[in-house]
Amino acid sequence: MIEVQNLTKRYGAVSAVDNVSFTARPGQVTGFLGPNGAGKTTTMRMLTGYMPPTSGKALVAGYDVFEQSMEVRRRVGYLPENVPLYRDMTALGYLMYIGEIRGIPNRRDKAREVLEQVKLADRAGSRIRTLSKGMRQRVGLAQALMHDPEVLILDEPTIGLDPLQVLELRDLVRELGKNHTVLFSTHILSEAEQVCDSVVIINRGMVVAQGSPSELRSTLERGGRVFVRVSAPAEAALAHLQSLPAVAQAEAGLDGVIVAPADPNADPRPAIARAIIENGWDLIELRPLAVNLEEIFLELTRAPEAAAEAEPMPESEVVA
Amino acid sequence: MSAILAVFKREFTLYFRSPIAYAVAFAMLLFLGILFNGNLSQSVAYNVSVAQQGGAGVTASDLNLAPALITFLMFLIGPLLTMRLLAEESREGTIEVLMTLPMNEAQFIIGKFLAVWSYYTVLLLLTVTYHLVLTLVGVPDAGVAFGAYLGAWLYGGAVLAVCMVWSAVTEDQIVAAFLSAATVLVLYLAEVAAVSLTSSPTLASAANFVRELGLQAHFGATLANGIIRAEDIAYFVLMMIGALFITTRIVETRRWRA
Repeated sequence: MIEVQNLTKRYGAVSAVDNVSFTARPGQVTGFLGPNGAGKTTTMRMLTGYMPPTSGKALVAGYDVFEQSMEVRRRVGYLPENVPLYRDMTALGYLMYIGEIRGIPNRRDKAREVLEQVKLADRAGSRIRTLSKGMRQRVGLAQALMHDPEVLILDEPTIGLDPLQVLELRDLVRELGKNHTVLFSTHILSEAEQVCDSVVIINRGMVVAQGSPSELRSTLERGGRVFVRVSAPAEAALAHLQSLPAVAQAEAGLDGVIVAPADPNADPRPAIARAIIENGWDLIELRPLAVNLEEIFLELTRAPEAAAEAEPMPESEVVA
Repeated sequence: MSAILAVFKREFTLYFRSPIAYAVAFAMLLFLGILFNGNLSQSVAYNVSVAQQGGAGVTASDLNLAPALITFLMFLIGPLLTMRLLAEESREGTIEVLMTLPMNEAQFIIGKFLAVWSYYTVLLLLTVTYHLVLTLVGVPDAGVAFGAYLGAWLYGGAVLAVCMVWSAVTEDQIVAAFLSAATVLVLYLAEVAAVSLTSSPTLASAANFVRELGLQAHFGATLANGIIRAEDIAYFVLMMIGALFITTRIVETRRWRA
């Protein structure tokens, strides 16, 4: 369990992390999503006790990250972004070193067990410098698992891996999510959609949205926009749809027409279907406009200036 | 405690796999060996000539030759052994994992320091062979040798701790080595600076202060000659504790600002 309340990290006048609050539940993979430089790594460093927050509070496994840092550290496994390892050590030697600092009994057996878990048992005796990027990533993950932590914090673990390795790692993370609290940062949306049970989107140090991927999608779908494709001249169809009372706005897009309903809570589809059939056209496609995480993300992380400029646009289009 | 031991074991064994550590040992033993042989043959020749003339006086070879030379060489040995110690952990980012383990900075730094000091102790013990050679040709004063070795051991510990501060300050090993060498040289030469200050009577107390601040004031005239004074031991121990405390603070604040 990770509970973050109003966490803030300021460097002088610049806020790297600004008033961030979210919860990551046990038995789930929580995605921490945002563009590069959004404050993901800074937040994770504060959660692992590497860096103190300027203000705010965070509880990890029930302990305050600042007041009870050592208790938190005993219960957290952390994989930093660049997977720093000692290149002159063997994979097994490195894990045993970490195990010794953590005071784990039977660390040789435990190290072999976690290497097995990350499917690297056959390279246990290899020096880390001879391992591929994907293997190093797995050594880093094994390091985070040495002490059976309640909470796993993984900072962009799939970065720099080849597609097959990415798939393997995602499977592993999903598997780990079943009995750990996993906080998993990424800037790849499809990854968050595939791996995470819940997503926190952060931009410029602030949380801009959170919820399950499907919840986030339905929030944006609540506008009730529908997509229509008709076998008719596009302009005629557009004009006709625009004239319907159930339609607030119709615009060309995606090789068809995107329609915003006058009443967001009423489904405009029956009215649209009727109107098109009555007009003698063929209705080819009529569906709610699906929004994927990609669109949500772009919507939310757009620079505020651009978003402000984009706001008044629909008004003028209605007139046209 | 187990954390200190873990860090110590890794760092200490690393010295025996590091080319730099072997190079330091090789260069040091070569240098000391040449000077020791020269010194020994000179005093043997002198003693033989005195005996031939029917004299009874026997000059000893310089009993503190090896430890005294080592204290001089510390401005090279110290930086070379410590420059990697913390700078590399910051540069490679490995410190980020270590500082999220249940281990505080002090444990981490004490483990590192004990490792480098232990390796230095091994180097120092290698030079005890010179003393053994002396016992073959005569009866050297064991008290002087003990004092000199104890002094060189503490002197080395203090220098290594001071060098560690610079390894914590910068991620660049070369910069750390240079700043360390400069600091150790200044501490070594404090006595010389003090002499130039004594020329003016008004600065006498300042001169004394500068002299006492330096490393050689607590070794050259006392420990090196087998005179073991509490104040000299206290000086070296306090240097170590102070430098390690500063190092700990630097590692802490670097992390907090990172």
